[in-house]
Amino acid sequence: MPLGTLDRTPPPFFRQGPSALSKLMVCSALAVFLMVADVRFRVTQPVRAAIADVLYPFQWLVLQPVNWVRGSTGYFQSLQAAQSGAEQMRIALAAQAQKANQVEELALENTRLRQLLELRQRITTPARAAQILYDAADPFSRKVIIDRGEMHGIVSGSPVIDGYGVLGQVTRVFGAVSEVTLITDGDQAIPVLNTRTGVRGVAFGDMSHPAGGMELRFAPADTDVQAGDVLSTSGVDGVYPAGLAVARVDKVERRSELVFARIALSPLAQVRGTIHVMVLQPVASQIEPRPSETSAPAPARKSLRK
Amino acid sequence: MIMRQGQQLLLPANPFFIWGTLLAAFVLHMLQNMGFWGRAAWVPDLLALVLVFWSVHQPLRVGIGAAFVFGLCLDVHQSGLLGANALAYTVLSFFAITIHRRLLWFTVPSQALQVLPLFVASQWIGLGAKMLAGGSFPGWTILLAPVLQAALWPAVSVLLLVPQRRAPDRDLNRPL
Repeated sequence: MPLGTLDRTPPPFFRQGPSALSKLMVCSALAVFLMVADVRFRVTQPVRAAIADVLYPFQWLVLQPVNWVRGSTGYFQSLQAAQSGAEQMRIALAAQAQKANQVEELALENTRLRQLLELRQRITTPARAAQILYDAADPFSRKVIIDRGEMHGIVSGSPVIDGYGVLGQVTRVFGAVSEVTLITDGDQAIPVLNTRTGVRGVAFGDMSHPAGGMELRFAPADTDVQAGDVLSTSGVDGVYPAGLAVARVDKVERRSELVFARIALSPLAQVRGTIHVMVLQPVASQIEPRPSETSAPAPARKSLRK
Repeated sequence: MIMRQGQQLLLPANPFFIWGTLLAAFVLHMLQNMGFWGRAAWVPDLLALVLVFWSVHQPLRVGIGAAFVFGLCLDVHQSGLLGANALAYTVLSFFAITIHRRLLWFTVPSQALQVLPLFVASQWIGLGAKMLAGGSFPGWTILLAPVLQAALWPAVSVLLLVPQRRAPDRDLNRPL
């Protein structure tokens, strides 16, 4: 048997390198430092972007077979299923056609009325189409990755919608992909307006819901909300344009010992199943900056107090 | 060199094979996420399994530094808290290196039982870090992941040792 064919070699006497314990100390300290930097100071975006760019070829490689399988299952779908799908789409289109015509007319009327009353024009936001690549693997949050990134002009904070309503918001932008936090994520808040009553509120994601739900928090117990109400974006946040459908009220629970009502919502966007989405520009980039404090006339406040 | 009685003599491990299998485990981990199960919590972490395997079998080549770097990459891929998986993998690899001299004296099923606490500890470290940073609990199915990883230990220890079990000199009349 020639030399060097055995795996077992005695450990080196010298040059053993740092001990395992010291390596553990250094690496754990580095990891803790990174976590603090990520959560408290939010300065790790360059590190993250650099690693993401290194990982992207691997992710692309993994996605190819996934895409082939998705494509081939679609190809072998039965003719009947495809026809019924097309039929449903036609019915939906016909139902929307009338509304769309009315919207044109109403939009024209609205602009004229606004001109008449010298109100500011409604903001229209440019949009670009994107595709959802996969769910982010972290089971502690609700995020998806889309196939448009910095190269395509996506900016952090952009609202993302699908055909039915608001889906979420772009939270991190990398070179070729970006990360979208869904509205069902526990940390995601969205200002909404009840389309029936006009009452404003803030909806949060509800992670305890297995299929992805939302809740309307901080609504007083006597607020006028019924199951079936549709909530849309209110447009007061400078992120989402006003009037996009967000969620429908599922259940309203009023308890005498609680100040706020517990209101469960179900998102209108298909947070679990959609593939094609639209990324809008954040509204804030088109709003004029807030007037500074000094320019505000001081006597006005006094007259209010009287 | 002290060895267990009846233990097979192995060929030296090829470094390309070691790093290749680590990369393959990472890619498989990504495939599980992208293609099959999305963000399910019970999915076994193949990368942690292969890392522990090589930390136990080749502690001079695969160590804590490699585990840290792979953990960091996984954090970015998952787009979760940066550093949580890195910390979990660092601790996992440290424990694997601590037990590596003892572990190989046992039979493979008994080894699987002994790496189970490692996987549980590492998972709870990651869980604790993410919960402290404001994540919400992903459900009790998360407890299934370390058990699945330990159950895969025998399969991995057969598969990854195949190249080292070949005969040192080829013999046409004796294929193995």
